[in-house]
Amino acid sequence: MRLSSLFIWALIFSHSLHADEDLGAMWGSAQEESKYYPIVTIPIPTGVPLQPGGFEILPDGRLAVGTRRGDIYFIKGAFESPPKPEYHLFASGQDETFALSWKDGAMTATSWGEVTRITDNDGDGVADSYATLSNNWGYSEGHEFAFGSKHDPEGNIWVALGLSGSYESHSLFRGWAVKVTPRGQMIPVCSGLRSPGGVGANAQGVMLVIESQGPWNGCCSLKHLKPGAFLGHPASYNWYPYAPELKVPALEPQTDSRMGLEKKRIKELVPPVVRFPYIKMGRSISGFRLNKTEGKFGPFDNQLFLSDYSLSLIMRATTEEINGVWQGACYPFREGLATGLMNLEFSPKGQLMAGGFTTSSQWPVRGTEPFALQRIDWNGIPPFEIKMINIKKEGFLITFTKRIDREIAAKPASYRIITYTHVYQGDYGSPEVDHTTPKILGVEPLLDGFSVFLRLDKIVEDHIHDFDLGKIHSVEGGNLVHNKAYYTVNEIPRL
Amino acid sequence: MSYLSVKHFLDINSIFFLIPLGFLLFLSWVPSSVAEPVIAGLISSRMESFLKGQILIEELNCVACHKSSSTSPESLTVRSKKSPRLAEIGSRVNPNYLEAFILDPHGTHPNTTMPDMLLHLEGEEKKLVATSLTHFLLSLKKNDFSLQAPDAVAAQLGYKLFHSRGCAACHSPRDARGLELLPKNSNPLGALEKKYSFKSLVHFLRQPHLSRPSGRMPDLRLGGQDIERIAHYLLRETRVPGSLSYTQYRGSVWEGLESEQVTAERAGLVKDFALESVGQIHHHTGIKYEGWIQIPRSGRYLFFLKMNAGSLLVDGKQLLHQDPSDRRGVKHLEASTELGEGWVRIQFTYFHTGHDPTLSLEMAGPSFDRQAIPSSMLSISDKTIPVLKKFELDPERVARGQLQFVQLGCAHCHNDLQLTSPSAPALVDLNISKGCLSQSKGAWPKFNLSLDQKKWIAEALPSIEQFTLTAQQRLHKSLVTFNCIACHERTELGGIAAERKVFFTGTQGALGDQGRLPPPLSQVGAKLKPEAIADVLLHGKRHRNYVDASMPHFGEANVSHLVELFSKVDTLETASIPQVTQNLEFKNQGWEMVGSDGLNCIACHEFNGQKSGEISALDLVSVTARLKKNWFHLYMRDPARFHPTVIMPSYWPDGQSTRPKSLGGDTAKQIEAVWLYLEEGGRAKKPNGLSRQSKELRVSDVTEIYRGRSSIGYRGIAVGYPERVNLVFDSEEMALRQLWKGDFVSTDFGSFHPRGTDSILFPSGIPFHRLKSMEENWPYKGKKRYSFPQDHGYQFRGYQLDAQRRPTFLYVYGDISVEDFFEESRDAQGIIFFKRTLTFKTMSQQLPFYFRVAIGKKIIQRSKQSFGIDQLQLRILGDPPGLLREGNPSEILIPLTLSEGRTTLTLEYQW
Repeated sequence: MRLSSLFIWALIFSHSLHADEDLGAMWGSAQEESKYYPIVTIPIPTGVPLQPGGFEILPDGRLAVGTRRGDIYFIKGAFESPPKPEYHLFASGQDETFALSWKDGAMTATSWGEVTRITDNDGDGVADSYATLSNNWGYSEGHEFAFGSKHDPEGNIWVALGLSGSYESHSLFRGWAVKVTPRGQMIPVCSGLRSPGGVGANAQGVMLVIESQGPWNGCCSLKHLKPGAFLGHPASYNWYPYAPELKVPALEPQTDSRMGLEKKRIKELVPPVVRFPYIKMGRSISGFRLNKTEGKFGPFDNQLFLSDYSLSLIMRATTEEINGVWQGACYPFREGLATGLMNLEFSPKGQLMAGGFTTSSQWPVRGTEPFALQRIDWNGIPPFEIKMINIKKEGFLITFTKRIDREIAAKPASYRIITYTHVYQGDYGSPEVDHTTPKILGVEPLLDGFSVFLRLDKIVEDHIHDFDLGKIHSVEGGNLVHNKAYYTVNEIPRL
Repeated sequence: MSYLSVKHFLDINSIFFLIPLGFLLFLSWVPSSVAEPVIAGLISSRMESFLKGQILIEELNCVACHKSSSTSPESLTVRSKKSPRLAEIGSRVNPNYLEAFILDPHGTHPNTTMPDMLLHLEGEEKKLVATSLTHFLLSLKKNDFSLQAPDAVAAQLGYKLFHSRGCAACHSPRDARGLELLPKNSNPLGALEKKYSFKSLVHFLRQPHLSRPSGRMPDLRLGGQDIERIAHYLLRETRVPGSLSYTQYRGSVWEGLESEQVTAERAGLVKDFALESVGQIHHHTGIKYEGWIQIPRSGRYLFFLKMNAGSLLVDGKQLLHQDPSDRRGVKHLEASTELGEGWVRIQFTYFHTGHDPTLSLEMAGPSFDRQAIPSSMLSISDKTIPVLKKFELDPERVARGQLQFVQLGCAHCHNDLQLTSPSAPALVDLNISKGCLSQSKGAWPKFNLSLDQKKWIAEALPSIEQFTLTAQQRLHKSLVTFNCIACHERTELGGIAAERKVFFTGTQGALGDQGRLPPPLSQVGAKLKPEAIADVLLHGKRHRNYVDASMPHFGEANVSHLVELFSKVDTLETASIPQVTQNLEFKNQGWEMVGSDGLNCIACHEFNGQKSGEISALDLVSVTARLKKNWFHLYMRDPARFHPTVIMPSYWPDGQSTRPKSLGGDTAKQIEAVWLYLEEGGRAKKPNGLSRQSKELRVSDVTEIYRGRSSIGYRGIAVGYPERVNLVFDSEEMALRQLWKGDFVSTDFGSFHPRGTDSILFPSGIPFHRLKSMEENWPYKGKKRYSFPQDHGYQFRGYQLDAQRRPTFLYVYGDISVEDFFEESRDAQGIIFFKRTLTFKTMSQQLPFYFRVAIGKKIIQRSKQSFGIDQLQLRILGDPPGLLREGNPSEILIPLTLSEGRTTLTLEYQW
């Protein structure tokens, strides 16, 4: 039973990708991005098979990397400029490891088969205890991978479990998110996942997961792991009998529908928080981290940074809770990394570590290195970017990272907004459908000089609002590094 | 040859007096253009001429006719080269070639060692004899020789392989057109396409010693498609009739078939333009068809094409062209042209691209309705290519041929047919002025010997049965006979000819000549242990996989004597080797020197199958098993002494250590330390800086673990112990699933595959269960028991490692926590086995339960505590008995009753 990892990877992240298929145009902004956020490559010694899957920062400031080969390396000097990395092998022999979290003197690793608490009891620097916290989910097929979170405030690890063959659910809890407690109890949390990636919390501590485009998912998205929720793909309904605390939803979603319609039919259905229009914003999002660097990484504190596997790029996302439902926007950030990105981590110095691997040249990934560890540094020069977009009852509040040219910003013609949504269907992916073009009724630059409020004739629920702000200039006359932003409207504020 | 040089021999060799003067005189009349038999090693070697004569006598198998009285195991009869076995020749050789070769061996295959046996016959009689012999030989077994069309694409690869894999070391290298570049000092091949078919040549190359048992043509032991490709190359001139020739390409065919992004996959003949005729075809394939159409009547002809893309040329005119595009489907195209009656050339390139690719090529013309062009109207040539007809045997000629085979003396050499030819003069009675060595014609073989060759034979003949050669002479004679010196340098004898060096290639350019040339044989007996020589020479072991040339097999019976001869002949001075008492300290120093903090030997050398840098020279863990210690000491002091072009630096220049702090800076001690460390072989502790990139996971001095998917399931834990025993534990069902010996595992990301040997498999299933009755089946997961085995009270809790990094598996069964530990142990005979200790801990008295330790169709119970299950011997230590629960399969159950506290159970697994 030798499994083709190439095949597995192809299906997990890029089902519809063929060898000769075009990956899609680049944003074309790499050169401009590099003026603010240069990429630094951390050298990897020849003998080290460092296919990074998961990252953690150790209390002593070293970087920990969990790898596809099931090793955990501790790396000293990765954050220095230039980097002077020293690699130390802490643990080995595990299944593919895509999540690490350090707590109370132990490394908790989530690999495909289990959550393991790994410790070095004799103090020689090498792990000697591999305590299995839980391996109680089904694992009997080559696509049934697992991504884990950091410890939540209660010490739990949240694990997202991909479907069998990325289409069906043949083993226990495939397509679910579960919570593994410090005592090793496994608690089912949500059903309805397809091919999830990284798991983590936003600034408010709300647990989110990455989901991939595919059946019942028109594009990649961030989803809210709301306990008891059904997250859209019905293949995993069959495991409710094994989660007695949770009630099986009374209805199943109808295909060829809209998320906006189905969430009203099925009360457990929680719509995606942020949708990432396919190819425009990644095509196989893998991991994300919350920026808590308090300004060290530029003007994007408390925002989420997400890595994309196929396109070797990094995006940003912001989230807000409206009418009790989470939603938000995504923005381009940095492209041109060296390999297929699997995960991200912020260093204590506020640098963004990024790493991953490619599987085989047969499957296209824009970054061509077989594996790489890279770092994005902020050089202290503020970029002119759309900082964030927030929804209001009658329109959107757009905040920039620099003061904007008020004259240009005051003209409605400086903004182009269209909306569209996806078909919610059992077929693979979805085209963008139901396009509308809202009218801009009014533009109100705010007194702080950084923000502008756009009053629209309508906001379309269940639609992505696609902003092109290319005409906006900073007061110095500079262009935006990226013109685009995409806001997913699940709810419109009532007040 | 001048009289003077003969005179010179006369002075040094008294046996020369035996050669009559008349013989010497006629030697000078032999024309110089004679195509004498070529034995390539003889030409390039530096060797005394009487030894060359001995080799010739052996290679021409003189003793087959001129019997020897010696019965020594090293007699001439034993040493001489056996002629090709003929029983299977009807499958092996083209009948036309066979007849021509018998009729005129030297004309058909210049430089052959086969003598002309029909020289005394003339005209029709001679021809009749050759025909009869052919009929006889083809009657022996199968007479089923047939020709196959060559694959020009494979032949291109074969051209490279012929030169890189070692064929061109003995046979002449060729230029791109096939012209032999060094015919004079190469073993001749002749026109192989006239002699062999693709099938018969492949069969011969796979097992050359079946038909040529003396191993002069060695078995190159090539893998993959190498032999087929070489055969396609050697037979690329074979012509067989066919309708169309085609070449199939794959890749970015829209860039043109010459693009670097396109690979030619295969070529051959096909009956028509139907896609099914070429077999399976992938998207993004291009096919180039070439042939001739027989036009029945002059007039205007229309061609209809359905395809995504392609290009059609008829009679040299381009009629249609359509570029490939994946953005559309099939196009319908039409064109017409005037064609005259008779053969007209057609060239068609087809691209299998776009949506739903398909091909249809039809033609219509005067009195020819629109249809696909039938095979019968197509040919690969406008001229007739004769069909090789089956050779019809004539019983009368068969009978006559057998008679002549005996009478002419053929049966002397080709002695596999159980026939006996009338005897010739015995070896001791030979008169070299008569018969084969004379210039006169008669009923004896004619070898076309050169003057030199005759002289060598004359010199060697008198002493040929007195086996008085020195060990060195015997060694060198064999190295020349088997042409070892075509690939290996031996200082005093010869080596790779300068003009041939360029054909030796390798994959490790950074190693210089050592990365492409086979290693020298100078002093090899002082360098290698005899068993290491035997491993390479006789048992197929290879250490330098980066050298493209193959180390072939010459047959154990033919060359095993070399092992002893090398050791006897090659000696070097004795190096100073210190006596070591602090073994451990030396080994530690050796470990440090080999690693990246020391001399960093692993920067260039592989270590236990793992390479650390770009260069991967010989694996260090095999060094002490291969090399003699004395040589190692001499070599380490001055590598360049043994390899003038070696890239390995001297770490002890002029005998001085570059590491004064280690072992007092003593050179001999430091070298000895490296030796002692490497003596641990595959169990040597891994040096610092060693790569982990290798897919093969090797065990050194500590236990290795790898988890993931394997044949036992998805949550296997493979454990490899330093004593070279291994196991897989299933962390899903807490069960021992596999035991094996030897190499550990190959790994891929998240999956492993056991290597090694002597594998014992255990079926899946939980270890402990409370059977309600002895009829109850042992529980198993099944398809729908999704929460198995947690629903039976099980929970895996991981493992802990001890100082040797051996795991103790931890799991829970109900209220019982289990520690499960395996350790390697040896019995009184030194045979390794696993001792398994289970420690149960519980807070309260437990209801009795069973431990199922093994399952098998045939379990033999030797005692209450000893069982045999196929190859496995299982023993229970301590009190508990084992029960044999008969069934299909039967099970060994141990009833367990635990009281509060700690209970241990010990088992032994031996296999």
